[in-house]
Order: sequence, then C-alpha cells, then structure tokens
Amino acid sequence: MRYDSITEAIGNTPLVRIDPAVHGLRHIDLYAKLELLNPFGSVKDRAAWNMARPGLPAAVAHGSQVVELSSGNTAKALAVIAGMHGLPFKSVTNRMRIPEIKDLLLLLGADIEELPGQSECLDPSNTEDPLTLFHRELSGPGSNYLHTDQYFNPRNTEAHTAGTGPEIVKDLDGCAPDWFIACVGTAGSSTGVARVLREHDPRVRVVGLVAAKSDFIPGIRTWDEVHEVGLFDPATYDTVEAVSSDEAIEGMLALARRCGILAGPTGGAAYHGTVRHLRDIDAELTARQESGEEVIRQSAVFIVCDRIESYLSYTKRRRPDLFRQPPRKNTLADLTESEIAAAPAVGTPEARQWIERDRPLVVDLRSPFAYAALHIEGAINIVDELFDELVRGGLPFSTRQPVLLVCPVGEQSARYAALLTRMGHPDVRSLSGGVIAWRDAGAPLVRD
Amino acid sequence: MAVAVPSSPEPLTLEPRLEPPLASLLGAGNLLPSLVDALGSPLNVLLPEQIAENAARFRAAYRTHRLGGRVYFAHKANRSSALLRRLAATDAAVDVASLGELQHALGAGFTPDRIMATGPKDRAFLWLAARTGVTVNADSAGELDELAALVRAHHLARIPVLVRLSAFDGPGARVLTRPSRFGTPAAALDGLLTTLERHADALELTGVGYHLDTTSTEEKARALEGCIRALDACRSRGLRPRVVDIGGGFGVNYLAHGAEWERYTSELTAAVLGRRPPLTWRGHGYGLRNDGGTLRGALALYPAHRPVAGAGYLDALLALPAPSFGGRPLATLLLENLYDLCTEPGRALVDQCGAVLARVLEVRRTDSGEPLVRLAMKADDAGLEEHGVLVDPVLIGRDGVRAAPGDGPAAGVYLAGSLCLEADLITRRMVSLPRLPRPGDLLAFANTAGYCMDFQTSRAQRQPVARTVAAWQEEGSWHWCLDEQYWPITRPGGEP
Repeated sequence: MRYDSITEAIGNTPLVRIDPAVHGLRHIDLYAKLELLNPFGSVKDRAAWNMARPGLPAAVAHGSQVVELSSGNTAKALAVIAGMHGLPFKSVTNRMRIPEIKDLLLLLGADIEELPGQSECLDPSNTEDPLTLFHRELSGPGSNYLHTDQYFNPRNTEAHTAGTGPEIVKDLDGCAPDWFIACVGTAGSSTGVARVLREHDPRVRVVGLVAAKSDFIPGIRTWDEVHEVGLFDPATYDTVEAVSSDEAIEGMLALARRCGILAGPTGGAAYHGTVRHLRDIDAELTARQESGEEVIRQSAVFIVCDRIESYLSYTKRRRPDLFRQPPRKNTLADLTESEIAAAPAVGTPEARQWIERDRPLVVDLRSPFAYAALHIEGAINIVDELFDELVRGGLPFSTRQPVLLVCPVGEQSARYAALLTRMGHPDVRSLSGGVIAWRDAGAPLVRD
Repeated sequence: MAVAVPSSPEPLTLEPRLEPPLASLLGAGNLLPSLVDALGSPLNVLLPEQIAENAARFRAAYRTHRLGGRVYFAHKANRSSALLRRLAATDAAVDVASLGELQHALGAGFTPDRIMATGPKDRAFLWLAARTGVTVNADSAGELDELAALVRAHHLARIPVLVRLSAFDGPGARVLTRPSRFGTPAAALDGLLTTLERHADALELTGVGYHLDTTSTEEKARALEGCIRALDACRSRGLRPRVVDIGGGFGVNYLAHGAEWERYTSELTAAVLGRRPPLTWRGHGYGLRNDGGTLRGALALYPAHRPVAGAGYLDALLALPAPSFGGRPLATLLLENLYDLCTEPGRALVDQCGAVLARVLEVRRTDSGEPLVRLAMKADDAGLEEHGVLVDPVLIGRDGVRAAPGDGPAAGVYLAGSLCLEADLITRRMVSLPRLPRPGDLLAFANTAGYCMDFQTSRAQRQPVARTVAAWQEEGSWHWCLDEQYWPITRPGGEP
C-alpha cells in the first residue's frame, strides 16, 4: 500500500475475532475493532483528522494555534496533525494523569496547560470555572485559534458514521452485529458507530461503558462526567454500565497475553465489560439449546481504542505485582535494625577533628542542588540514588580510604555506613545528626 | 435507557464525621439544651482540647519527615479566645491577619517568636508587629519599605521577615493557577531582594512562602519547588534564610461516608438535568446548570468528603516527588537544603473543635408543600452554605436525647433563619433528619469551628450574636465556661 500522506493511513482498521477459548462464550462470536492500529496510535486519529481538516487551510493562512481540551489521544493526534501543517498546538487539561502521554506530547512539540485544582476556600461570587475562562479566551477579540471542540463537534461523530461504522458492517459481510459495546469518552465513536449499525439493523443492542465514580480509567468518563459531554445522548445506549480500573487491567492482560492484541486499559475495559455483559446472555442461549430449542449464533463488536505502551506507570501503580523485579544485591533493605544501630558514627566536633587529622573522603548524599547551596568544605557529592546504584556493584572506593558519609539528619548515612561496613569497608563513619546538626553546632558550610 | 437515576423517596443523608469528643458532647444529655436555655440561641460550643490534639497531629507529620519548623494556626478561622489560649499552651504558633488578632494572640500567651503577621496590613498593625518583634510575612516591596521606615524611625530591633511569593513557573507542562491578589510574582524576586538588602539594618529575611487557594497537591508542589529556588537565589546573594512557609489549605473531611457524598453529587447532577425531583430549594444547582440536556458549569461546593485531609494531606504533600529536582520527595528537598517548614493551617487545625447550636422555632409546609424548619439563628451564624459545605445537622430533642434513625419517618427539610429576608436560608439543600423536628428541639451544626462559626456573623435586624462557650471533659463528665473566661488551667467551678 502506498500513500502520499500518513493521514491517508487513518481508518480501515482490521476486525479481529477473539478466540472463544479466551472469552468462553459459546454462542456469541466476539470481534475486536483494532483502532490501536491507526497511525498515531488510537481511535482518536479519525476524529482529530476529521475535525481539524476543514479548518486547516485557514489556520495555515493565519498561523493559528490548534487548541483542544484533551489529556490523551486526541491531543496526541492533533499534535501530530498540527505539526505536519506547521501549526502550534496547545492542549488544555484538568490533569494529565498519564505521565507517558504528557512526556510524549511535550516531545511532539505540544504546549500543555493544566487547569487549576478546586478552590480550597470557596468564593461563591466567583462563577467562573476554569473552563468558562478557557472558552472566553477562545472567543475573545483578536484570538487566533483553531478549536476542534471534541466534546461538542459533530464532525467527531461523523468520523465514525463515515468510517468506523461502515467498516464494521462491511467486515461482517454486510450485517450489523447483534451487540456493540463501547467505552464512553467523548461519545464520538460510540454514537457514530451505533447510528450506522442501527440504520442497518434497528435490533442492534448498544452497551455504553463508563468508569465507576471515584475510579479512573484513561479515556473513559465516569457516571457524572458523561453528562458534561455535548455529544452524549443517553438514547444512544440500551444500557450504560460501569467498569473498574481493576477490570480494565484484567481485560488488558487477557488481550495482550492471550490474544496478541496490545491494547491499553481502555480496550481492556471494553473487552472486560463486553464479556461480563454477554456472559449471562450466553448462558441463557445455552439453556435454551439444552432444552431443545434451535439457537442462532450471535455476534458482538467492541472497540480497542489504543495501545498498551503508554500505560506502564498507570498499571504499575495499580498492579505492582505484574512487574516482577529481580532480587537486588547490597541494598539497604537487607540491613537489620541492629546493624544500622551499630554503624560507626561521629558527632560534629569529633568529625571536624577527624577531617583535620586523617582527611577522610567526605561524601555528601544530598541532591546536587542542596550540595551546591551549602556543603562541608572538601566534600564530594554523590546523590543517594546514584550512590545506591554504585554500591550495588561493589565498594566504590578503596578500603584504605576512610570515608565520612553525610546526609540531612544522619539516618541515611547511618544506613549506608552499615551497608559499606557489611561489604568489608574498615573505616566508614556516618555524621551523626547530619548536616543539620553540623550547621546547628556552628560548624562552617561553604558555597562554591 | 438505563442512565436515568431512579428518583429516591428518601431524603439523601450526608452524615457528619464526628470524632469521639464531639460525638460525646452532642450526646451529653441535658447539657446542651440547658446551655441554650441559659445563653440563648444560637450558641457556639468549642472544644479547646481538640485543637491541641490537631496541632499534635500536624507535629507528628513533621516528625515523620524529620522536619523542623512551626505550625502556625491561621487565627482568622475562628475568633475564640479559648482555642487560642489552649493552643498557646502547646508548641504551636499563630498566624494573625489583623491588629485585633495580633493583640488577641499576645494576650492569649503567645510570645512574639511564635507569632507571624500575614495578610493586608495597616500602619497600626505593622507598628505593633514591629514593636513586639513578631515575624512579618510581607506581601510586597512597598510593605517592606513601610516596615523598615517604622523600625528606623522608632529605633526598634531588627524585624524577622518572610516574603510571600506567587505565580511560580516550572519545567514541562504549564500548570495554571488561580491569580491571587496577594504576594509578589516569583519572577520579580530580584527587585524584592534588592529592597531587602537596602533594609538590611532593619529587616532580616528568614524565609519565603506561598499560599495557594487550591486543593491540588501538584500546584503546591510546584510552588514549593519555586520557593526552594528562590531561597537559593537569596543564599547566592549572601542572605541566610532558613524557612519555607507553605501556607494552609490542608482541608477538612466533613462527612462520615464517602459513598453518601458520591451518591449525593450524582443525584444532584441528575436533578439539575431534570431526571429526578429537585434536592435543593427551588432547584438550586450549586453552580451546575442544564444546557439543553448537557451539564454545564462547575460544582461550587467544598469537597465535603476528603479521605486525605489535615495532617494527612500535609504528609502526602511532603511525600510528593519534586518534578524539577529529579523526583526527590519534597520533604527530602527541604531537609537536605537545611530549611525548616512553616505551615498555616486554619480550618484543619480546628477540625472537630466545635458546633453551632440553634433552637427550632417553627416547623411548617410552604404553600408549595416544601417542609420548612425555622431556627432561632441567621444564615450568617453558621456559614456552611456560604462556604459550600454540605452536611446534615444533628437533631437533639428537648430532653437532650440525640435523635437516631428509626425514631420516626426520616424527614427531608429546608432550614430557614430568623431574618425577614427571602435569602436567609441556612441551607438551600434539603437536609436529612432522623425524624421531623418539633419546636423546642435543637439542631447542632457540627464541626463548624473553621470559618463556619463566627466568620461572617452580623447584628442584622438587631438580632443577637451567638455567645461562645468552651467545654471540656474531666473525670467522665462535661464542664464548660464562657469562652472569654477559659484558660488552659481552668478547673470545674472556676478553681485555678
């Protein structure tokens, strides 16, 4: 396949059957619409391109900034599209909760603005929520923006009535599936696809998935938040159900480990919500078949929104058990309390004499910034996390070289003194009370 | 269509979170009715022991992170003498924002080294601060000039000063923050330091600080990093500052059950969208509105259920990684740069410290059938509505017995004050009570000591202002005295 522009590669994603051995449904064929194979990595490529396209010639002529309220995939796609057209892009967001996406957006050249958190002291006379201010800025005099407005722009839905929906029907040999299950984010994909499928066959049943209220699944709104979405129409869905982040991760693991589909948690939530919803229906079909009735096979389609790679820290925070770490050598965690208590230590006056007499190597474990601000004269700076790495490989200095370890209050230096002693160093000592005690004793600190 | 939330015939409860001392006070039998009989309605009751307990919790959070420095109570949260006098007997300090508060703090037993003057200051306030030698947290270069002139003109000792900074920038994504009227932009630090150097004979810079009006720890983390950078700039110019003042805003958890709060806010959304009967007086949306089926606006309510609040919030903030310092925890950053930490909790230090009591005068239905309870108080006597704090009051019978679920059919009522004014509603939310109140019953607005007690109270229509009493437990029973008569050594019967 040869294209003139990467944007031509948007859409026409595969519909892949999930192995029944994985989902366990006996009478329902389950298909995943692999939106993660879009060129910028998600289903939002379609909407972003469709929303931005008509405004691009004028934006290029005026040098407008492309802006969108997005903390995820829409921003990613728009950042790429804006960059391709030489335009700046700004994403305004409540909170970027996925660090990888935030870094990726910065890497792509996007400008990110995070809106302020909720006010601690309520000012009832202030009716201007940050979003109102955002919209006012967009429409203010002299403003020069291309605002794609994903939560209200009908071209978001249209990207799916023209693309995603008809593609599914075509791949199912001209039939609509019996079930369509989608996570509700901007509601663009679920509304667009549902519209096409229902036009084809009004009996299609549509399940919308939202996050439980206090939970967070990237790309999915919660029960309350869906009402803030202009494209959200409750009539689109036969039922709306909640999924949890735990279920989303379980679904993600099933798709990645057993189906070879490297979906993110949004796709995982769609898969999990789909199987959960259909399990009872499938059981009912089994019962009817066992009672001698003839049962017609059904089909269901869910959307796999994006890829797994951006959600490693999201998953790690919720499921540390999935990231097995090899056992480490020479770590502080191995030390016993009595070893730490027995670590050689010196107070400030004694330490000053020792420095004068034997010139021990003074190692300051604080951050470079703190070290640069004030330190003991002649000390070298090896920040704790680096020191931690160094000792893992063995003693970082000769056993003939006496060492004085310095940290803020003498706790960490005592631990490392104990560790280095255990590793065979004969004369390593910790500065008792740390650099704070040193200062409080009136001993000199220098700044280079 | 399964989205519509079924309408609930039961009023939605928002049960207040009560720690044992406050719960015990509200269950102390005849004590509260007899106090209201004697001293009138409304009546403020305060628990001075609780503020000492709260200060100890903050101190414990400091200890966890090995940090030194003081906890300054933001006096503006409550006017009480008893609370201040009790606090003076701990190791905590006080943050005063007016001449009157400074006089009050000095009179309560705080020595000048435990007082910090903040906020907008007039000449008299600055004078007394300089004369007594309290730390002045300066808002601007102009204020430093004025203070230095006072010190020189009257040959006073050098005054310790902190400067309040605002508008911090940082790497990566831009974090927007509500603009503040207070403080000097961090970018203008150089000019401020030049001013301080010019006044080196009169003023001694001890640190910098910020106060952000936000619940977001990320914004605060960024400001704290900005302060560390600013202090380093001070050091590079030969100044020797040693504290970072991170202000207040640690929050209070008002509700016993997170699930009730979640259900309430969801149902409020549904009510605003017309999917269930209103939960509020005349369909008030608390900032939300229905725009053709789509929800617009922002919920203007205090997040009444906050699992991480007060000292716990401080602990979490200090553990947060500092993004521009290689992800080291903020506490480590403070510690290894040899800085002490100052905090100025207001609401959080008076959490669970008291209640406003009011007598039920009348229970009736409005013409449109709304159950309305009129109380012997004004809305400004308990600023819950003003501060957007939604929580049910506690109903106490004429006999002093606290009403419990099952005492009768649960009742959803609106609460009106005694002003001849349509707007004098104590709550626009329909509150939930275990039974319908009767005239003579008491309603206790629990946990109102922080900003929701005497902050806004007025003498409108020559109506009485609440009297305040301090109460404490000793040998298993409750004792009380008038707020102005309380001292930490007060014994039952007034014996010293």
